[in-house]
Amino acid sequence: MSTDISRMRNIGISAHIDSGKTTLTERILFYCKKIHKIHEVKGKDGVGATMDHMELERERGITITSAATNVEWNGHSINIIDTPGHVDFTIEVERSLRVLDGAVLVLCSVGGVQSQTITVDRQLRRYNVPRIAFVNKCDRTGANPFKVRDQLEEKLKHNAVLMQIPIGLEDKHRGLVDLVSMKALYFDGPDGEILRTEEIPAELAAEARTRREEMIDAASLFSDALMEAALEGRVTEDLIHQAVRRGTIARKLTPVFLGSAYKNKGVQTLLDGVVRYLPNPSEVVNSAISLDDGGAEIKLATDPAAPAVLLAFKLEDGPYGQLTYIRVYQGRIEKGTDLVNTRSRQRIKVGRLIRMHADSMVDITEASAGDIAALFGIDCASGDTFAAPGLNVAMTSIYVPEPVISLAIKPVDKRSLDRMAKALNRFTKEDPTFRTHVDPESLETIIQGMGELHLDVYVERMKREYSAEVETGKPQVAYREAISVKAEFDYTHKKQTGGAGQYGRVIGYVEPNPEGAYEFVNDVKGGRIPREFILSCDKGFRTAMKKGDIIGFPVIGVRVVLNDGQAHDVDSSDHAFQAAAIGAFRQVYRKAKPQILEPIMKVSVEGPSEYAGNVFGTIHQRRGLIVSSVEDGIFSRVDAEVPLAEMFGYSTQLRSLTQGKAEFTMEFLKYGRVPASVAEALAAEHAARKAQDQGR
Amino acid sequence: MVRAELVKRSPLRVLEGAIHGGLGHGNIAVLASPKGVGKTACLVHIATDKLLQGKPVIHVSYASRVDYIITWYEDIFKEIAKDRKLTDAVDVHDEIIANRVIMNFKQDGTKTEQVLKSLEAMITYGKFNADTVIVDGYDFSRPVCDDLARFKDFAGRLGLEVWFSASLRETGRPIYDADGVPAMLKPLCAGLDVVITLHALDRHVEFRVVKDRDHPAPGVLPIKLDPKTFLIK
Repeated sequence: MSTDISRMRNIGISAHIDSGKTTLTERILFYCKKIHKIHEVKGKDGVGATMDHMELERERGITITSAATNVEWNGHSINIIDTPGHVDFTIEVERSLRVLDGAVLVLCSVGGVQSQTITVDRQLRRYNVPRIAFVNKCDRTGANPFKVRDQLEEKLKHNAVLMQIPIGLEDKHRGLVDLVSMKALYFDGPDGEILRTEEIPAELAAEARTRREEMIDAASLFSDALMEAALEGRVTEDLIHQAVRRGTIARKLTPVFLGSAYKNKGVQTLLDGVVRYLPNPSEVVNSAISLDDGGAEIKLATDPAAPAVLLAFKLEDGPYGQLTYIRVYQGRIEKGTDLVNTRSRQRIKVGRLIRMHADSMVDITEASAGDIAALFGIDCASGDTFAAPGLNVAMTSIYVPEPVISLAIKPVDKRSLDRMAKALNRFTKEDPTFRTHVDPESLETIIQGMGELHLDVYVERMKREYSAEVETGKPQVAYREAISVKAEFDYTHKKQTGGAGQYGRVIGYVEPNPEGAYEFVNDVKGGRIPREFILSCDKGFRTAMKKGDIIGFPVIGVRVVLNDGQAHDVDSSDHAFQAAAIGAFRQVYRKAKPQILEPIMKVSVEGPSEYAGNVFGTIHQRRGLIVSSVEDGIFSRVDAEVPLAEMFGYSTQLRSLTQGKAEFTMEFLKYGRVPASVAEALAAEHAARKAQDQGR
Repeated sequence: MVRAELVKRSPLRVLEGAIHGGLGHGNIAVLASPKGVGKTACLVHIATDKLLQGKPVIHVSYASRVDYIITWYEDIFKEIAKDRKLTDAVDVHDEIIANRVIMNFKQDGTKTEQVLKSLEAMITYGKFNADTVIVDGYDFSRPVCDDLARFKDFAGRLGLEVWFSASLRETGRPIYDADGVPAMLKPLCAGLDVVITLHALDRHVEFRVVKDRDHPAPGVLPIKLDPKTFLIK
């Protein structure tokens, strides 16, 4: 195991669904001599790809959790973080991205840049992750890697440059021309493991020369030495590698590699690319937030000698207890190292330290800055930071979106109840976008998440991993309420008959806050409300806004301005002013013309153009707004904004309408006003439910 | 200014007056100029004017990316709203974008028959009750006579107003003939109802109506395009 940091890589593999990401990962493990038999994603041998280690994932052919796997290539240690492909699991993707230094963006040579590619690329961009591209499936009918390169430029604004050209495409895809060494490469042997180097076929020589010139032109912008060498006609392979590396790490150049993982072509050369062009941990700037110093940013040094800082980015419940995946950002750890969880203040001692290879694990003695490893027997939540005692820092908090959908679940028997509780406890620790609570009115257990599929997967995991059988209710959209006009309040809370009296009066107004958040403005002059009770008012308003009056959902986007009031020397209290604020809000709410808001999803549907009409129809039926459609002859993509409440069962409808040839992705876009007719129905439903509850 | 007032006072009413009450359903107009004079801005302005009147618009684009076109619409709307001090601009904006759909096609990959088929699917299946179709980036340097006839037939059948832009290329010969009609469009003129040319002058862009069906062409219009804001004034 090399500890030389320049020979370390932490990479992710990001792709649209079905671009062959799992197959590619599998081949990488194979060529790195870690596994000795190649399994297909939905293999006939029933074993399944090594990376998808969850049974459920195996069945669905998609990857849900990210496991970190370590491989060696050419004397380099590469940690591969397998990122999930579906938008419903975005938090998993984002959390993985946090610990990456570089990424391979996998594209299908037929589908090119698809809706999900755009999403993952945007995420990679947000975390400043340098990337190289791999155009997979060059053996498929309709393969056109040149078109994919153009799309990288047009749709993703990458400065994409081909490092290779294909020798034959579709069923004639035989090998690649490497534009750096100007050699033809063939992948021989039953599993493509023998790399054979030949002269470039005569019919490709001219094209290879042109493409090489393009590549050198693009790369020479990052190296004066290469530019000079190009002018003088003495370009060396090393000069090209250095220039491309510099451009890639600066995120101004995206080298494009080609091949077909399924047909065992191009994987080794991609690995060479990873090692050559993606940064090692010391080439990436990482910073932490100081918890002592008002959140100042502290740069971390990728130095084993510095005090240790590590991030727990992933938890997994294994047969041997909780496994915590960590990335070491600074310093080094070994068995017995003392660390502090900077969130919970808990002190821990590093116990067993391991490195993962999908399902199997290897014990290691230490991990140092830049490394990814896993700890046993540590109790923490994902996203927690551990640091050497005395160092009070946190890694940047990871952006967590609010859940948009909820579902009531009910265990079928007593045994399932206990197991369900255990499972929920685990899931909420693993995934911050998955939440659970017990509804105080109906006493039902409610789970919340980012989409229908997201919740489905957890319900299934409960069954499979915890043998907890649950019945599910109807998925419920997370509506919100908001006010639409300014309205004034003047409310007195008064109870002065018998016992301790209560008195509080609040005067002011509420108005819509275009920022969408709750805001409390204290404009009270001359101590009309004593300072200590101002906070009570704020608290009271917050409480009142947890449940709106129309349909019982939280009220958002209100600015409360408190400008006058009255207190009583004896009878005013924290409680009295909280009650006054709640009363004031109840009083003013209807006057402020409240409305119901619903989550609007950004929906992208992709499929053959012949079905575009059907797709338009489905969007219209679901109260959707078609923003645009893009057709390039064979394929078309429709982008639309559709209320989440109307998206239930869409995958089934789309599949049956298009014979399974179209697919869609969706993500939360914004909260939008519910049309009057729908709002009336929702309000009536809420009123009926309330009446029923009261009758009980 | 309220929305109705803004529509009433739009400089585009001058254009409508000049071409005898507007283009009208079933008809085709072309805005022609060399590259970079402001055709797209004009088309987006015309579309926005329709949207402000509550008339749904399909914007067909052959060249630009969708987000680029959306930016055009956002910018033009913002400028109009600011210039005319539009009241309730945010609500108006939300309302009009619901009436706009952008359809992007690859020029070399998509036949006009397919484009029209998709447009019809949008109108019938998508229940998008279009009034006006904007076609930007269509390549007029190719033989397009048959395609234009298809568009014309389509416009008549579905009751649409269709506005094209045509990019006039340098060919070595004069771009315009003696009547100011673009040489490139001359052979097509029979199929075109209205032809308007744009000319970049020192401080602004000038509009000339060089063909208006069987009427005598009115020539230079008393409106102009401001090259800074891309607004028609």
